Order: sequence, then structure tokens, then C-alpha cells
Amino acid sequence: MRRLSSALFLLGLGLLIAAIFQTMEFGSVAPIAGQAINTVAAEQVGAANFVTAVVLAYRGFDTLLELTILFTAATAGGLVLGKPRAGASRDPDSGFILRAGADLFFPLLLVVGLYIILHGHLTPGGGFQGGVILASAFFIPILARPGTSMNHRRVSLIEGFAGAGFILIGLLAMLGGKEFLSPLLDQGELGALLSAGSLPLLYIAVGLKVGSELAGLLAQLSETEATD
Amino acid sequence: MTMDTGLILYTAAFGLILIGSAGIVLSTHLVRIIFGIALLEAGANLLLLLATYRAGSAAPIIVEGRIPAVMADPVPQALVLTAIVIGVGILALALSLALRVQRAYGTLDLREVRQRLEQDIAGEAGIDLPSSSDAPQAVMTRQEGQA
Amino acid sequence: MNKLVLLVALPLITAFLLPVINRVSAFAGRWSGPLILLLTSALGISLWSQLGDSAVAIELGGFRPPLGITLYADQMAILFAVAASLGTLLLWPNGGEDSVRQSTLALILAASGSGLALSGDLFNIYVFYELVAVVSYGLIAAKATSGSYAATLRYLVVSSFGAAMALTGIALVYQATGTLNLAQLAQLAPTQLNNMQGLAAFVLMLIGFGVKAELFPVNTWVPEVYATAPARISGLLAGVVSKLALLIIVRLLVLVFHQPEALTVMLVLGIIGVVSGELAAWRARDFKRMIAFSSIGQLGIMFIAFAIPGKAGIFAGLAIALHHLVVKPALFLLAERWSGSLSGLAGAAKASPLAAALFILLALSLIGVPPLPGFWAKLLVLVELSQQSQPLYYLGAVVILAGAALEANYLFRVASRFYHAENAQTAPASHRLPELATASLLCAALAGSVFVLTPLAEQIEGIATQAADTAHYIQTVNPEALP
Repeated sequence: MRRLSSALFLLGLGLLIAAIFQTMEFGSVAPIAGQAINTVAAEQVGAANFVTAVVLAYRGFDTLLELTILFTAATAGGLVLGKPRAGASRDPDSGFILRAGADLFFPLLLVVGLYIILHGHLTPGGGFQGGVILASAFFIPILARPGTSMNHRRVSLIEGFAGAGFILIGLLAMLGGKEFLSPLLDQGELGALLSAGSLPLLYIAVGLKVGSELAGLLAQLSETEATD
Repeated sequence: MTMDTGLILYTAAFGLILIGSAGIVLSTHLVRIIFGIALLEAGANLLLLLATYRAGSAAPIIVEGRIPAVMADPVPQALVLTAIVIGVGILALALSLALRVQRAYGTLDLREVRQRLEQDIAGEAGIDLPSSSDAPQAVMTRQEGQA
Repeated sequence: MNKLVLLVALPLITAFLLPVINRVSAFAGRWSGPLILLLTSALGISLWSQLGDSAVAIELGGFRPPLGITLYADQMAILFAVAASLGTLLLWPNGGEDSVRQSTLALILAASGSGLALSGDLFNIYVFYELVAVVSYGLIAAKATSGSYAATLRYLVVSSFGAAMALTGIALVYQATGTLNLAQLAQLAPTQLNNMQGLAAFVLMLIGFGVKAELFPVNTWVPEVYATAPARISGLLAGVVSKLALLIIVRLLVLVFHQPEALTVMLVLGIIGVVSGELAAWRARDFKRMIAFSSIGQLGIMFIAFAIPGKAGIFAGLAIALHHLVVKPALFLLAERWSGSLSGLAGAAKASPLAAALFILLALSLIGVPPLPGFWAKLLVLVELSQQSQPLYYLGAVVILAGAALEANYLFRVASRFYHAENAQTAPASHRLPELATASLLCAALAGSVFVLTPLAEQIEGIATQAADTAHYIQTVNPEALP
């Protein structure tokens, strides 16, 4: 009975999609917001990477919420997983190659991650992408040496202050009489590292937050023992 | 890119959505259902990206002062960035929950989990299920709990 | 007026810093959350009175729509934003493990609820909606029983499916119009969304946002979650969050999707919801699931009401929604002690006489007995339904009346059992003071509203008229001219 209703539901969904497919015209409508942003972003925001301009300036509110969702998922994950039980079984030792490789990788990943975060307003990339690389930089040593635990207190400290930093920059704009999350600071020269006002600062906050959060979440998942 | 490439991409997006939905609705193992969610989200993200795609457009980035003639729409790229991060967060939470369910019930088969869930709810409330074989136990635990 | 953003920003920054605050001082960690919510609720109420009956658009980041995101603050939006903040304050999580994390999640719930009510951008609404979802997963799982984990996982699956459907719908809308700003969508809808693609997008978004609004067929999660979650969280979800989800659907209907087929789909799903919900409630054998199914039924009535075109539908729907907003959390607060089977509730009136009396008051209002507000809300819906021409609306009226009869039956079955002779072994304990106090407060508000019924009704009618006015919305937000 349940399979029948599921199959019927899928059939309905498939028909719906086929109908949409039929009537959709490809590439016909001009993106109103997108075109306008492409024209004015360089002067209004000063970032060479327009996607960053959208992520941090035009739709900065969405980015704040995205950060919050990640934070909430990490908090809820911590709530669900709880503390690792004492005497939990550990993964077996990982061998020399993995350990040596992880030691070599760590500084490389740090550099790449920080580079991508800092150049988010100039080249493709930014806080989220760089943050994930940073998270892997801090997680790979845990994979290489099972049993080493992450310092969760430091992680939650970085997490909290980075997120608060993002909102504070947004609130600072309000103190100056502008709206929440208006871009601040001097825009500088387009294409230079120090340009686009407060956008690089926002991305640094994002990168630190995402990096610490993901690393903490992954560490917590790996510390929770598998069932026997 | 030609019109045909657009068709292929749209088919891919809708196909992913269908496959993901099929996975969620028809699977009986919780981890497969979570994979289905991941596929479904991938399909929806792809569809969002394709929404205002224009053939022959360049990335909306100013490189060395050169502004491309036809720039792609930056908005869906930002939207999909957000959507992917949301998906990652939810997936991580789903796996944590699956871990705890596995630890509590010893199984991740959907039918068994539903059954155990019903038993748990009924047990907490102190009522017995119609076809439950441990009805006497439920009564005894209730009485023990009240004593 | 741009201080409205603080309803979102302040709880968020407190939530981010709560682990740090808690390490510095446990007292601050415990009380900064409720304090901030008290602040934001007061701010919201003062801004409400400042606004009067005009509406304001807040351009975040200083960017004109449709480039940036706008928040739209009319009376309905601020009302529900304050309801989110105040509701979380009243139903603040109490008990269970790891109170710091639960407080963090509760703060984020308040922030995201307020934001959901205020947002004026389609994708921003989606992100707020997902945020509310993730927070609710955490809060439900905080009960830390095996049942709560399983129920949360099932809820997660249904909700994620719905969210992906909603995202597909948003992709379709963006493909058809090129914008995400609700005001601009309202401008473009008559020409570009009045087709099959528009209807498909609406159905997809209805399924997506309908998960939280307990719409049929995506409400399979409701009984399990409300039975296994902490009672306060169930109250928050059933009372506040479901109304917020419904609010989004109403905004979409008013502003963007004007097809009559959209209303028909809502009507049909609402009717099925009332029938399935009330029947399941009638057959339920434990208290929590009984009121869970009853909330499905009540939300079905709201869907039927909002399916009435024009301002009349919004007026009727708002009346029922606001009534349910007060009644359902109170019922769940009472359920905290009465979470056993219905037969085990015999003699409960002896242990908690006040709670039993409150339950009778709430039951009477839910069924629709004059002079309580529930009666007037249901009467309004029935009157508006009878004035429609399509026969489906008459079916809706019949279903609502039948549902009320069923409600009377199962609610009074429970109430009479309270006053039976007590069975010492199974009688539940008396209620704790916090739950009893909050429930009494809500019931006092309910009873008090009887005396101010006419001005209250006029106020709600004013809110509905403003919400139904699409032209006013477009004018207030004033998006940049189309190329």
C-alpha cells in the first residue's frame, strides 16, 4: 500500500516536471537584478568579483543567515551527539604515510585556505570556500592520528567571536545612520588587495567561522564511537 | 554552448530531482534516504543556476581591469552558494541523528525504526498497541512507574 | 523604523556569544537569552504602535530593491514578528540536558521567526525557513530520548524534501521573471507567472512551505514529533512556527500567484486536512497526539479560510490563526503533565483543579462556543464560505461544522474523565508552576479578549485589508524601474 502511494506520488511529480519542462523557455528572460548588479557593482561596492559583491553586500543578510544555519547545525549536532563515552573504541593506527602526508599538507592547506579567503573580492572563492579548506587543514591531523582530540573550547570561542564580528560590522553601519549591513570603509582601488571596504573583513569573519565550525563538527562526529 | 547543451543540462537537473525524490520516497534504509536528499538538493541547486543562464557569457569578475562584454548573472551563483552550505549543515545533522538512532534502536531500516518509534511513543504514554505482543509488559511498567 | 532589523540581529549575536558568556558567568548565561527576547518584544511592540496603519520597507545594506534585500513591515508582519519573539520568551526551554545549547537554539528560533515574518525577498524567506527548520530539529532532539531522535530524523527527511521542492519552485519563478523581490514579482506576475509554470511553482512552494504548516500530505511528521518533543517546543512549533509558514503562503497568494487554481488547490488540501486531522484526533488514545491531530485539523480550517479570495479570506484566516496561536501553546503546556494515555487521566482534576478548568476553557474556545473568541472566528469563516459561489466552498463549510462536532466529542470525553473518581495508581501529578502560570496567562488573554471583541475585530480587519492590498505593497517597496 505504501509502495503504491509512493509510486503514484512519484508519477505525479514526474508529470509535473514534464509539464514544466514543456512550457519553460530556455534563457529567455533577462535577469533584472543580475544585470543591474553587473552594471553598478564596480562603483557601488568596489569589489572586482561581482559574486562576492552579491554575497556580502547586496545579499549580505542571506550570508548572515547561512552562517547561522551552519552554526545551528553544529550546535544541534553537539546537542545530539553529546560527549564521547569513556572507554570508547578508537580507530586503528593510521600508519607512517598518512601521518607524514598530513604533516606536509597542513601548512599548504593553511596557506591555500587563507589565500582564497583574503582574495575573495578579487578572484573566485571567498570565505566559505577558504573556510572549508581551513577546516580540512585542522581535521586531517585528527584523521592521521586517531585519538587526538580537538580543543572544542577554542573552536567554540573562535566560532562565537567570528560570528559576532560579522553582526557587529553590520550593526556598526546602523550606528552611522545607514541601514544594517551597509558596506563601510573606503572602497579603495578596484582590483587591489585592500579594496571593497569592509567586504574582506566580512569574508575573514566568515572564513574563520566556517573553518572552525566544520572542523569542530567533523571532530565531534569522529569522536562519537561507532556501535559495535 | 548551444541550445542542445541547455537541454541536456535541464534534463540533468530535473533528472537529479526525480532520482533524489525517488530515493527518498522509495528507499527503506535511512542512509539511502539521506543520499536521496543530497541528490535532490543537488538537482534543485543546478536548476537554480540554470535559471538565467546565457550562452557565451563570461564570469562576472573584472580581471586586470578588463570588463567582459557579456557577463553571467552573479545572483544565482550567490544563491546556490547559500543553498549548498545549508545542505551541508542539514546533511551533517541528519548523519548525527542517524548515528544516534542506530545506537538506540540497533537498526537503520525504516520500517523497523517506525515500529520501534511507535512502541516508544505508546510505551511513554502507557497505552498498548493493538497488535502488540508485549501488552502485559506495558501494563507492568506503567504500574511500576507510578509506584 | 529600521530598528526592526534588531529583532533579528540582537538575538543572533547573543546566540553566537552565549557559550562565551556562559563561561564567564553562569547566571548571565541563563538570563541573557530571556532578557534579550524581552527587549526585542518590547521594541517590536513599540514599533508597532509607532507605525500605526501605514507600512514601511527597510532596504538592507542601503541597496535599492531588487538589487538588495528588503524587509517589509506592515501590521501583519510586525504582529507575527513580535509573536515569534514573545512566544519563544513565554515557552523558553526548561529542563532537559545542555541548557546552554538549548538557549542558543531558542534565541535563534526567535530571530528566525521574526525574520520570516518580515522578509520581502523570496530567497531570503527560503533561507529563514530553513533556519527555522534546523533550529527545530535541534530543539526536538534535545529531549534526548530514542523516540525523539527517530522522530526528528523522520521530520528532517520530510522537511528537506519540502525545502528542495520549494527551491525548485523558486528556481522556476526566477527563470520566469528574473527577480526575487516580492514587490517586483507582484508587478510582473500578471504577465509572466499567469501560466502553467507559475502554477507549478506555486504547487511546489506550497508543498515546501506547507511542511511546517502541517499541510496534507506532508504532515506525516506531526504526531510523532509532537509526541516525543518537549511539550514547550511542541507548543512553539504548533502555535507559532506553523502560523509563520502559513503567513508566507498567504503572502505569496496575495502578491504573486493570482490564479484561481491556486486557491482551489489550497481549498482541497485544507478540506482533506480538516477531515483527516479531526478523525485521527477522535481516535487518538494519548493526550499529546490528540492535540497534535487537532492542530492539523485547525490548520486545515485556516487553509480553507485563506482559500477565500480577497480581503475576506485573509480576515477570516487571521482570526482563526490568532486564536490558535494562543490556544495551542496553552494546551501543550498543560500536556506536559498529562502526556500519558487518555484513560490514565481519570481524576486529574483532583490533583490540578486549575489546569482542568483551563482545559475546559480552551476546549470550549477551540470548538467554538459563544462568547469565546473561537466561536466568532469560526462563525466568520462559515459566513464568508457561505457567500462564495463555488460548491467546493460549501463542502468546506460542512466539513468545518462536522469537525467542530467531532472536536466537541473528543474534547469533552477528556474533560469529563478529569472529574471521574480518581484512580490512585494512574492519576497524573499536579502541574508545575511555570507551565501553569504561562497557561493561565494565555487563557487570561483569551478570556479577556471577549470583552474587547469589537475593537479587536476591527483591528484584525484593518490588518487584513492592509495585507490584501497588493498595490500598496508595491508602492511601499517601490522597486527600481524595469529596464
